[in-house]
Amino acid sequence: MLEVRGIEVSYGEFLALRGISFTVQEGELVTIIGANGAGKSTILRAVMGLVKCRKGKIFFNEEDITSSPTHHRARLGISLVPEGRKIFPDLTVAENLFMGAYIQEDRRAVQSRMEEAFSLFPVLKERQNQVGKTLSGGEQQMLAIARALMSRPRVILMDEVSLGLMPIYVEETFKVIENLHRQGVTILLVEQNARKALQAANRGYVLETGEIVLSDQAKKLALNPQVKKAYLGGT
Amino acid sequence: MLWQQLANGIAIGSVYALISLGLTMVYGILRILHVAHAGIYALGAYVGLFSFRLIGNFWLSLIVGMAGAAIAGYFVERLLYTPLLHLPRIAPLIVSIGLFTALEEAFRIVAGPHTLAYNARVGLGDLSIGSFHLTETQILILLVTLAILIFLWAFLTKTRTGLAMRACAQDPETTSSFGVNVSAIIAVNFLIGSAMAGAAGVLIGVYDNQVWPTMGSIPAYKALAIVVLGGLGNIPGTVLASIVVGLAETFFIGVLAIPFPRDAVAFVAMILVLMFKPYGLLGKA
Repeated sequence: MLEVRGIEVSYGEFLALRGISFTVQEGELVTIIGANGAGKSTILRAVMGLVKCRKGKIFFNEEDITSSPTHHRARLGISLVPEGRKIFPDLTVAENLFMGAYIQEDRRAVQSRMEEAFSLFPVLKERQNQVGKTLSGGEQQMLAIARALMSRPRVILMDEVSLGLMPIYVEETFKVIENLHRQGVTILLVEQNARKALQAANRGYVLETGEIVLSDQAKKLALNPQVKKAYLGGT
Repeated sequence: MLWQQLANGIAIGSVYALISLGLTMVYGILRILHVAHAGIYALGAYVGLFSFRLIGNFWLSLIVGMAGAAIAGYFVERLLYTPLLHLPRIAPLIVSIGLFTALEEAFRIVAGPHTLAYNARVGLGDLSIGSFHLTETQILILLVTLAILIFLWAFLTKTRTGLAMRACAQDPETTSSFGVNVSAIIAVNFLIGSAMAGAAGVLIGVYDNQVWPTMGSIPAYKALAIVVLGGLGNIPGTVLASIVVGLAETFFIGVLAIPFPRDAVAFVAMILVLMFKPYGLLGKA
């Protein structure tokens, strides 16, 4: 479904991604783990079209989208839960969700998705008329995920969704991710919390300073001594 | 007397609002100080005046003036600002100042250096209740501004495009990731803001019964002061600040008869706000 072939991304002189290749099949939950600054977010930003690739190609359902503008990729069915959540601080919860469904012009369809989002995250229903910045960090994360689902994406890119959350919200967030996966949503998950990510995922890639150094079934990666030592806190 | 001054102040404040809103909307979305916006305002007055001479109907000339300003604003954005967005914001600011001066010279060359009368019959009539008196052009200003503000409010809060525009002002990158063509939103933003400035130009042209090449120079900096007063990018704040400045000017000069230059009021207000409430009248840190 999503195929990335040898992409390179640089910020000025600094080469952030040095020839990254990976694939995500329909219905899969794939994770990319790696340390802070390894380039994980940059990969997702490149897939979404928020940074330009110097080299390499990105295909979505066989279509070359390497030079498509971001809004075009969104219309093809790619959706991003950005790092730092990036909810619209001065829009209400309901308006944030409406923005997520921007590409859907049928108001009735948007309304029914809104109801689904509320049943998935009841707290958002209570807060629907509050502006985004008044939500707690955990609630904002729920909103960011719900918003990204509003477009009924074919693949959802999740960037560090557990970062900065209280442990109870981390649990909840991963429950939501696993539920979505079970419902058949294709997910590419980028995480510092490697233990959780590998538990949830089908396959995983390990990223070090802009290069993929390992790739395998998530279960096998979790048992890999190198991975254990570097990302899972020893034994 | 008091009511009279109140009405006068609100009428002037309304025109300030029409000019300043475009400026604050452009700042909100592009973070550019669009000084040439006041040139668009004067352009609207000229286009309105010349179309009035051709067709003889004020209301049509108002619409033509707004359309002319909107188209001009659109081209300023496409041809001058968008190509410069990757540069530090000082670059589009310099271009904007240069364009403003060039527009004033262009008006002088095309229409002559003297003031032209915009002697339009609006067809509304004056309103007098006892000692309270509203001139036809004051009623006109109040009605047109109210209509435009209602339209703007409905557009921003009730439509998909309006919602996307507010989202863009908060975070253009995230907005684009939901399928919004940000470049098109910026264009709509300029079209609406410039049409409002064009309306202000026509209204002032009729109110003062004159249109002249440098009619934008005082509004150029006064609108900047108002936009700062309202909190850069804050739309309700800008409307409030405009009315406050309009009222303050009228009261200081008209009621208290303080010998104080009228055009300095906005700046005194801006300085006070920057000292005590740096995020603007309605701003939060």
